[in-house]
Amino acid sequence: MIPTWYGITAFMLIVYIALDGRNFGAGMLHWLVARTPEERRQVIAAIGPLWTWHEVWLVGFGGTVLTVFPKLLASAFAGYYLALFLILWCLILRGISLEVGGHINDRMWQGFWDFVFVVASALLAILFGAAAGNMARGVPLASDGTFSMAFFTDFTTRGYVGLLDWYTVSVALFAAVALAAHGGTYLTLKTEGAVHDRSARYSRVLWASVAPLMLVISVESGIVRPDLLGHATHNPLWWLGLIVICAAAIALGSGLATRNEMRSFVASNLILGAMLATGAAAIFPVALHSTLAPENSLTAYYVAAGPKSLAYAAIWWPIGFAFAAAYFVFVSRRYAGKVNVSRENQGFY
Amino acid sequence: MDETLFWNRIQFAFTIVFHYLFPQLTMGLAWFLVYWKWRALRVGDEKYNQAVRFWGKIFGLNFAVGVVTGIPMEFQFGTNWAGFSKYAGGVIGQTLAMEGMFAFFLESAFIGVLIFGERRLGPRLHFVAALAVAVGSWTSAYFIIVTNAFMQHPVGYQLEADRSLGIASLGAYLLNPWAWVQFAHNQTAALVTGSFVVAALGAFYTLRGLHPMQARLYLRGGTLMGLIASLLAAFPTGDQQAKMVGKHQPVTLAAMEGRFVGGPMAGEAVIGQPNVAARRLDNPIEVPGALSFLAYGHFGTFVHGLEDFPKDQWPDNIELLYYSFHLMVTLGTIFILLMGYATFQRWRGRLESTNWLLWVLMLSLPFPYIANTLGWMTAELGRQPWLIYGLFRTSEGYSKVVSSGDTVFTLIGFVGLYLVLGLLFLGLVGREISHGPAEEALSAKHPEEPHEELSP
Repeated sequence: MIPTWYGITAFMLIVYIALDGRNFGAGMLHWLVARTPEERRQVIAAIGPLWTWHEVWLVGFGGTVLTVFPKLLASAFAGYYLALFLILWCLILRGISLEVGGHINDRMWQGFWDFVFVVASALLAILFGAAAGNMARGVPLASDGTFSMAFFTDFTTRGYVGLLDWYTVSVALFAAVALAAHGGTYLTLKTEGAVHDRSARYSRVLWASVAPLMLVISVESGIVRPDLLGHATHNPLWWLGLIVICAAAIALGSGLATRNEMRSFVASNLILGAMLATGAAAIFPVALHSTLAPENSLTAYYVAAGPKSLAYAAIWWPIGFAFAAAYFVFVSRRYAGKVNVSRENQGFY
Repeated sequence: MDETLFWNRIQFAFTIVFHYLFPQLTMGLAWFLVYWKWRALRVGDEKYNQAVRFWGKIFGLNFAVGVVTGIPMEFQFGTNWAGFSKYAGGVIGQTLAMEGMFAFFLESAFIGVLIFGERRLGPRLHFVAALAVAVGSWTSAYFIIVTNAFMQHPVGYQLEADRSLGIASLGAYLLNPWAWVQFAHNQTAALVTGSFVVAALGAFYTLRGLHPMQARLYLRGGTLMGLIASLLAAFPTGDQQAKMVGKHQPVTLAAMEGRFVGGPMAGEAVIGQPNVAARRLDNPIEVPGALSFLAYGHFGTFVHGLEDFPKDQWPDNIELLYYSFHLMVTLGTIFILLMGYATFQRWRGRLESTNWLLWVLMLSLPFPYIANTLGWMTAELGRQPWLIYGLFRTSEGYSKVVSSGDTVFTLIGFVGLYLVLGLLFLGLVGREISHGPAEEALSAKHPEEPHEELSP
């Protein structure tokens, strides 16, 4: 039961990162791939109507973690206090920039909200990346299962670590590059004309740099958590994740080479998802690792809610997920194909 | 009060009050959109579609601000109230997650269709989208109210081995009698907000002589719905809610009424200022026996005073609780009178020509928002000093590892950000209002062109 819930919550977070990550990526590339106001509206229209749908996955993830791993949520959210509020504020600014930017057809107005959109998207990619780095490296959990962490301490990865150190910063930068590549792949799929061509060029360059960076991050992870690799190799799901990464990389390469935009985009999602999944599989059953003492680490078994609460959640979760999957099909069909920005309909998105 | 606890409470109060300004309009307005869409389908009158198109823009802006201010609410359970999450997450997490899975996915999948999809999907699916968003927003409210009802009147739980709370019966938890009453009261109150906003805009356009067809529709729909919803908010839902408080939180009822000494034939204070230090109500004007009757159904029933309870169980801000409750009741009464009179004038055919009434309807726009906020302040202040009534104190619930400096920092951040958000919202809605509803058919200009649409 508990490994399943660990998998389900990890899955929900992965879906959120894959869905909203494309928006962060598109945001980071916004100024690079779209130069004129018309081109910028193409980018906004490609992600505009769906950002609330994507953010709901984050809400669903938060609620599910609170239900099945209440002690994990209590410890992690309070410990990551300032970082989480930065994420929340960036999410607010990102959503608002998308929502109000198209309301007034004015260069200054739209230029300002484009700026907010770009900065918030870049910060979100970096902050989520730093959060992933923190999950891998661990946090200074005390024996009572709580921690409180500064933004940075001495930039080392042992003992009383901060949110940012050399390792988490490099993971954050890697996340920014990978999500930008993901967003570029998405924009290639959704746009036409100059935006499409520039997106295709950027996504090829970015994906080409993701491969060596992934190697660097893997080596760094081995240095920071030497215990992880030996532990991970005993988990068949970790191996499965590696195979998916390799297969998706091949699919992505062929998709980019043959300009099969749908194949590239599906592969891009799979690579991101599988990278995060191997990370989750590698640390299991630990949900939050302690940099102070291994025995302080919070395992999924320790942080789980009572058996009856888990059993009830196992009833409604699949039903809710079935609904979500049905909406996913509806939304995908509804918004399939290239975006169409008609000049007559100024205003929304 | 502990300083850290104080700042955590202020931050939650500020962010939730600001957030709830938006969902209450979403939930109230959604059924107007459904009704107009349905009328447009049935009678084919274009004015109903114009109304949906116009209000859809305001609805979309309102919805977006509701979404972005809502996500911090869920996160604050972990960031600021870790003690509470650790203790009760296995219970309250169920409904918070269900809200996302069953309500938000539905709403957010259809909101884009509702606002941008009319041309591509046609009238029937557009109606379905309006219905889906309305149902989604009300479902979401139910899950949140179940969560709050558990904090007011915990049911269906059990104590786990690690002394935290778990679910004993999901059915009992979801069907908490408190939740039914609170949901009914809260949703009628949201309809009051929606009705007043629609009526106020109708009054505004009528006074300025603009968009007469649309203004008439808003004014008539808003005042009729406003009367129905205001009546329902008072009776039976408000009445039942007060009886629920009297039954399960007698000390809260005493504090709401500023009643320090218990006794039979309890009077209902119409005016008076609670003087907690002297333990009495100053300058009271009371209706004798009314409180006994309202709370328990008989004029003679004994109603407890605060002094019948140990002081550590008293709500910690009796003054604010007293005024919140009394002002809410006063406003609710005025709403019934105002909307009743407006409906009477409509029956006489004078609604559009009674100038002073139009002014009052227009200027009363903020008051349902105030009344809704006061209602929630009554519920939440009345629950103190408990986070979960009778089980878990608020002082145990906040995150002990977060310093008050961090909380003040994030509070200041929210105040600044929400000030900008609020101004932006008002500015953009004002712009839509000054543009007004377009009183022509959607595709009248180019009927032969293919139905292209902006969003993909």
